[in-house]
Amino acid sequence: MNFIFGEIAGILIFFIGLCGLMINKSILKTIMSLTVMESGIILFFITINYTPDSVPPIGQAQEAAFADPVPAALMITAIVIGIGITAIGLTMFMHYKQKHGITHWTRDREQQGRGL
Amino acid sequence: MLGIFVIAPILIGTIAYLIRDDWAKPLVYLFQISFVLFAINQFLTVKLSGPIIWNTGDYSDGVALSLYADPLSIFMVLMTAFIYLAFLIYAGNTEYFHSKFYFLFIVLEGLIMGLFLSSDLFNIFVFSEVSTIVVSILIMINKEKQAIYDGMIYFFVNVLGSSFLLFGAAMIYRTFGLLDLRAIHAAIPLLTDPKAMILPYAMLMVAVSNKTAVMPLFSWLPKAHGTPSAPPVISAVLSGLYIKSGVYLFIRFNQMFEPAINMQPFFFWVGFFTSILGVIMALGQRDIKLFLAYSTVSQVGLIIVGLNMGTAIAYYGAIFHIFNHALFKSTLFLSAGLIEKEYGDRNIDKIRGLLKQMPWVALAIILSVLGITGAPFFNGSISKYMIASGTDDFWITLLLNIINFGTILSYVKFSTMLFGKRIKPTYILPENFSLIAVVSMGIVTLLTGLFGANFSDYFIGFSLEIDTLEYFKKGLIYILMLLGSIAIYKGVLKRNQFLLRIGKSELTFNGIVTVMSGYFIMILLFLIVFL
Repeated sequence: MNFIFGEIAGILIFFIGLCGLMINKSILKTIMSLTVMESGIILFFITINYTPDSVPPIGQAQEAAFADPVPAALMITAIVIGIGITAIGLTMFMHYKQKHGITHWTRDREQQGRGL
Repeated sequence: MLGIFVIAPILIGTIAYLIRDDWAKPLVYLFQISFVLFAINQFLTVKLSGPIIWNTGDYSDGVALSLYADPLSIFMVLMTAFIYLAFLIYAGNTEYFHSKFYFLFIVLEGLIMGLFLSSDLFNIFVFSEVSTIVVSILIMINKEKQAIYDGMIYFFVNVLGSSFLLFGAAMIYRTFGLLDLRAIHAAIPLLTDPKAMILPYAMLMVAVSNKTAVMPLFSWLPKAHGTPSAPPVISAVLSGLYIKSGVYLFIRFNQMFEPAINMQPFFFWVGFFTSILGVIMALGQRDIKLFLAYSTVSQVGLIIVGLNMGTAIAYYGAIFHIFNHALFKSTLFLSAGLIEKEYGDRNIDKIRGLLKQMPWVALAIILSVLGITGAPFFNGSISKYMIASGTDDFWITLLLNIINFGTILSYVKFSTMLFGKRIKPTYILPENFSLIAVVSMGIVTLLTGLFGANFSDYFIGFSLEIDTLEYFKKGLIYILMLLGSIAIYKGVLKRNQFLLRIGKSELTFNGIVTVMSGYFIMILLFLIVFL
């Protein structure tokens, strides 16, 4: 049996991204890891309930089963949200780096700008 | 018609952002008042004629993306609308009330409404993701260094939480081909093997536990809610209302999985330890805002405990406590904002003599501190009484009393601000509107306590009969605990540096993510062993 198919790959990519979030101290790599996780979810979502030889639900074709259109519709939304998330994360990071020159998560309270 | 709850704030917020400031402000107030009226109207409709369902595009129920209002969600909506009105009255004359601020602030109202009303996993994902963005921009609205750091931590942690939610939704869709909460609830008994729900359940629980900030996952909360440079209204809306959307989703998801999975003992203990840890961390703070943020952690823990006791009265007590906490924690945060303005300082040890310096603010603080500690006749006492009535077990009652003792102890520290000499000779009157908002919310704390039984009956839908003798006994215990905690505070804690050192401990971002993964594995193991 072939174990490398979309769902397994999606789960693996998700947890690889999670691992990246745990290991990397760089904020830029945090954003990249989040994107990796998200692509894992998207891969998982669009391959679930996929049957071979199904056709897109467009037109009048009757000879084969229709593919489920809902995951694709949801994932288009999720991709759009993902772009927004990445853009805002990068904006925050750029602002923070240019103003305060900090690129990594830190334990240093002074670097975080904390008083008291 | 429920769509109005979500779309109207977003539309009005955008319009208010585009038009001139002196036109926008009346528009915002007019909108909020009519919004409250609409919420009352919908509340009465639900109360009289049952739940309302609003399906988009006229598709059949269960297939369509839908908004759903039952007594619980419409109560949350009503609470949000009313408290938002108080927030807007408070913020009206402050210097940060400019177009960028109220645009985001009102959009956030619509998103919170969306979270309360959505009956659909994907919509919940969208709303939580978008509200994460809005909240993190609100946190860093002053662009101060620490605020940006805190906002970034908040943002990334919550985006991660939402990805868990989306992945859980994907697995549920794989099993059932459904996304609607009620439809999934109906479909779960059809499963041949409940073990198929372990992974999606763990994913969804990580997402909502992260939003609720329970024990190992609360590190982002004090950073986000206690950011010094964020306006007090934002801290108040986060701590009072937004955190409740997580609790609400926790209730909904557990209801959904109820036929297959029951994790009440697990979450009972999680809630208990959240409460205790919140109190310990709160005692270790000098910053008034951080103190209140950690106190939120402990109160949310109490709510989770009440939800997972397994009896109806404790469950409704927890829902009552959601409302109470929204009320008094908002009041406390707003008062803290006024205090900071007056004294120019946030250090609890340095602020003294509030009673003489700012009598009205002191009144609001006294009312809400009595509420949060559960003094007799205040609303906190009613909800805590309901939660405590949920059990006959001696040990569980003891645990609840320990939680309440911790709350009282931490607020004894907080109340030291009230006494002492006034520092500045002149009394500068803060904005009148802010005072009105704060004091009236404090008075509502007292009123909902005095008429607690009627309130619970009418709004929460649980007819409560208070046993006078039992309530009297609880009042006596309260006074004893108050005296005890004053003694402990004066004797031991006042000069203790140890707690202050604990209070400074925190996790880095990588630590937070690691703890989150650990929590995920913990839930998985618990389910694999006990299911």
